[in-house]
Amino acid sequence: MEGLLGGNEDAVRALYARYGRPIFTLGLRLLGSAEAAEELTQDVFLAAWRKAARFDPARGRLSTWLMTIAHNLAVDRLRRETGVTRPHLVLVDEVPELEWVDEEEPLIERDAAIRALESLSDAEKRLLARAYFGGLTAREIAEADGIPLGTVKTRLRTALIKVRRANQDKERP
Amino acid sequence: MTCLEVRELLPEHAIGVLGELEHERIQRHLQTCAGCRKEAGDLGQAASTLAFALAPVPVPEGLGDRVVARVRRAAGAPPGTRRRARTATVALVAAALVFGSLGWGAVMAGRAERFADRAAQAQREQAIAIEHFQQVLGNVIPGGSLPDNETHIGQLAPVAAGTGGGFALQLVSPRILDFVMVIVNGLDDPSVLPLRVQLVNDRGRVLRAGRIDALDANGGAEVYHQFRTQGLGGFTTVNVVDPAGRPVLTGTVDQSS
Repeated sequence: MEGLLGGNEDAVRALYARYGRPIFTLGLRLLGSAEAAEELTQDVFLAAWRKAARFDPARGRLSTWLMTIAHNLAVDRLRRETGVTRPHLVLVDEVPELEWVDEEEPLIERDAAIRALESLSDAEKRLLARAYFGGLTAREIAEADGIPLGTVKTRLRTALIKVRRANQDKERP
Repeated sequence: MTCLEVRELLPEHAIGVLGELEHERIQRHLQTCAGCRKEAGDLGQAASTLAFALAPVPVPEGLGDRVVARVRRAAGAPPGTRRRARTATVALVAAALVFGSLGWGAVMAGRAERFADRAAQAQREQAIAIEHFQQVLGNVIPGGSLPDNETHIGQLAPVAAGTGGGFALQLVSPRILDFVMVIVNGLDDPSVLPLRVQLVNDRGRVLRAGRIDALDANGGAEVYHQFRTQGLGGFTTVNVVDPAGRPVLTGTVDQSS
């Protein structure tokens, strides 16, 4: 991170080598075009450099910090482009692929994410995917499924807590 | 917003689907509530995990070079030029931090063993504290105008063999109600609660600036107080005391800077 703070080329390259692909993947998924995903990827690393001094490893991992920046920037971009006060993400119906894909260097974070999602029921996975990748609010999900709003909010929180706990369990020796 | 209202919205906040108005209201609450901020952080980390579950796609050729070039171009110019006024204030306050800048890192030594790591940790903690203070000031000052020469900072250190540390940041102004923010961290003994934050001048007069009833998982908490009738000029000593009145943390704010 110190290298990133100084705009050190090697530090930026090392960070990109590890996280460039998942960030581009998220951008493509949320924004729907390779051009937009590339712009987003550049914006994420620029934002990471600008915010590097504020990154606190005691409060969370670098990977999740970067991915939060990526998701927020994508959401902001969609808000600007659509002129609405909340995001309308492009892929509403799909649930992320959870199968293993052959990779030369599978990311530890991807391994952790898949294992964390395995702790969820299918309904919880679909719920999180509709919100995180589909941009649906709890109210929209409640109306679509005909269930109480409070129930959706509770299920969203429960699912996120399960993911968090699965990650914490993995982090413990 | 109350903590209850905020907690109900935090899952959607973490996922990023709230409208701007609700998002901003929550952000304001999180600036002053350590408990909700912890919950927001946990849920946010969980939400970010989802992104890594996507099956990776190939990236365009040369994207890495273009990313590096863009950061290097930006690094050639001072960062944060879009927020010049705020950055100027940060720089001013940062100047007051030159002395004793490693103390905070030492407080966090359990997580940073090497000297270089401690220095980096200290810089990070300072930057976070200052940034946070500027955000809070932006909310309490009408119009968001930040005076460059009226903000001061001091470092809090443990008394005797105690643990913990922190910062005290003051706004002392002839134009605006004076304001203090105290951030503590690393207090690992909950039996010292409730803690009280006191400001003391050289005549021994004591002002009460707040009370800490709970500590977060890092032994941290934050206290804010805006003084409606009392100016803070001269109240440079900051003590965080236990129920028996014994100082747990103490420090001095340099109001001359």
